[in-house]
Amino acid sequence: MTTQPGTGPVAHDPATLPADDNVNAYTFCVELKGTQWFLQKGKMIAYYGSIDFNGIGHGRLDRLVRTSFHSPLHASDWVVAEGSGKMLLADRAFDVNSYDLENGNLTIRSGNLLAFQPTLALKQSIVPGFLTLIGTGKFVAASNGPVVFMDPPIRVDPQALVGWADCPSPCHHYDHGYMTGAMGGLRALTGLGGASGEEHQFEFVGAGTVLLQSSEALMAEQATGATPQQAGVPGGGGVTGGHGSQGGAPRFPGQLGDLQRRFGL
Amino acid sequence: MFRLQGSKVLAVDMTGDAVRAKNGSMVAYDGQMAFKKMSGGGEGIRGMVTRRITGEQMTMMEVKGHGTCWFADRASEINLVGLRGEKLYVESSNLLATEAGLRTGTSFTGLRGASQGNGLFTTTVEGHGQAAIMSDGPAVVLRVSAQYPLTVDPGAYVAHQGNLRQSFQSGVTFRTFMGEGGGEAFQIRFEGDGLVYVQPSERNTIAGDV
Repeated sequence: MTTQPGTGPVAHDPATLPADDNVNAYTFCVELKGTQWFLQKGKMIAYYGSIDFNGIGHGRLDRLVRTSFHSPLHASDWVVAEGSGKMLLADRAFDVNSYDLENGNLTIRSGNLLAFQPTLALKQSIVPGFLTLIGTGKFVAASNGPVVFMDPPIRVDPQALVGWADCPSPCHHYDHGYMTGAMGGLRALTGLGGASGEEHQFEFVGAGTVLLQSSEALMAEQATGATPQQAGVPGGGGVTGGHGSQGGAPRFPGQLGDLQRRFGL
Repeated sequence: MFRLQGSKVLAVDMTGDAVRAKNGSMVAYDGQMAFKKMSGGGEGIRGMVTRRITGEQMTMMEVKGHGTCWFADRASEINLVGLRGEKLYVESSNLLATEAGLRTGTSFTGLRGASQGNGLFTTTVEGHGQAAIMSDGPAVVLRVSAQYPLTVDPGAYVAHQGNLRQSFQSGVTFRTFMGEGGGEAFQIRFEGDGLVYVQPSERNTIAGDV
């Protein structure tokens, strides 16, 4: 922490700023040495040195996007920082942390991911609203309150879930005894009769790690891009519920689907 | 004497002296205290008129007495800044308290202010003593020197002190209009010698979505 009680804050300069590490719980410092990082738009708060920010999907970066970025429609929310210097990242005073992946995979809620190294490949998850990072490298993610790591089997509250690594089985779990039957239906519809708000959880089993934040405040979701219009693709069919910012007008049979959105109609 | 109690509460020990603080920011006190609202932030008629015209409004109160007084505002993080004759530039909304030996005023910021969505003027604090400034999340203090100029996102800028020149950088290109901007279209570049305070959060700025 930079503010010890009673003393002034510590002044940082490029020599004292850490390389690819946290400055404090809320600020992360990335060191660029002619290298590149992907970051979500608007998360850079300051930098030393000469760093360029380019929207991706722009000619020179095409190859990079092809190799480490796999959701074409999502691309407009991301920029590539390249150059040399030190760059500070932060997000609405939420806790930020970096994670290292070694030939691994990690799926994370789209709004929580701040930045990642291009050695990782970013892909849309089959679970709508989540992104999966595959490969080896470092990424930075934000959470409301510190992140806790849990081992499955575990059932977690949907709002507290940040992501999971290596777990093969994220699925819904309902408290059936409480939710079924005439009384259960009534309770669910009206909220009368004492809904605890905890009748629905996500369940994880198998080997892996589940990441939870210590609050149930969700971060604004980032659109993860449209999924192909195919039968059997979650989120790709007629129902886009749960896609967060993709809401908008309901889709009717015969409509062109996301083509309209692509063309801004 | 300013000291932090935790990171979100400012405790001031007073022995008959006075401090100026944001109106309504007192949360507790111990001993004998008198609170007096200062019209125009205690800058006299001229300061009052300037503040009215520039929109850099600030309601301050003067607290005087013996004992300890605690200040806080919306659970913002508080940062102490010691001034020895330098000038501190801070947004009026981020200024919590100043010691009696400090004067406040207004100054023109130009395009930086406009890009922050905070108006074209900013508050200056000058003299000898301590000031307490607020930020959303603990502020990071960055040193600017001749060989290390610094570039800051306008939304994360809180305050700066020292002998700094600031210039406004715009990265708006035709790609911005194609929806492929770099996301950091407006930046403030600081050169010279001094300290810049940035917060780990961005205010909504007009450039926020560019």
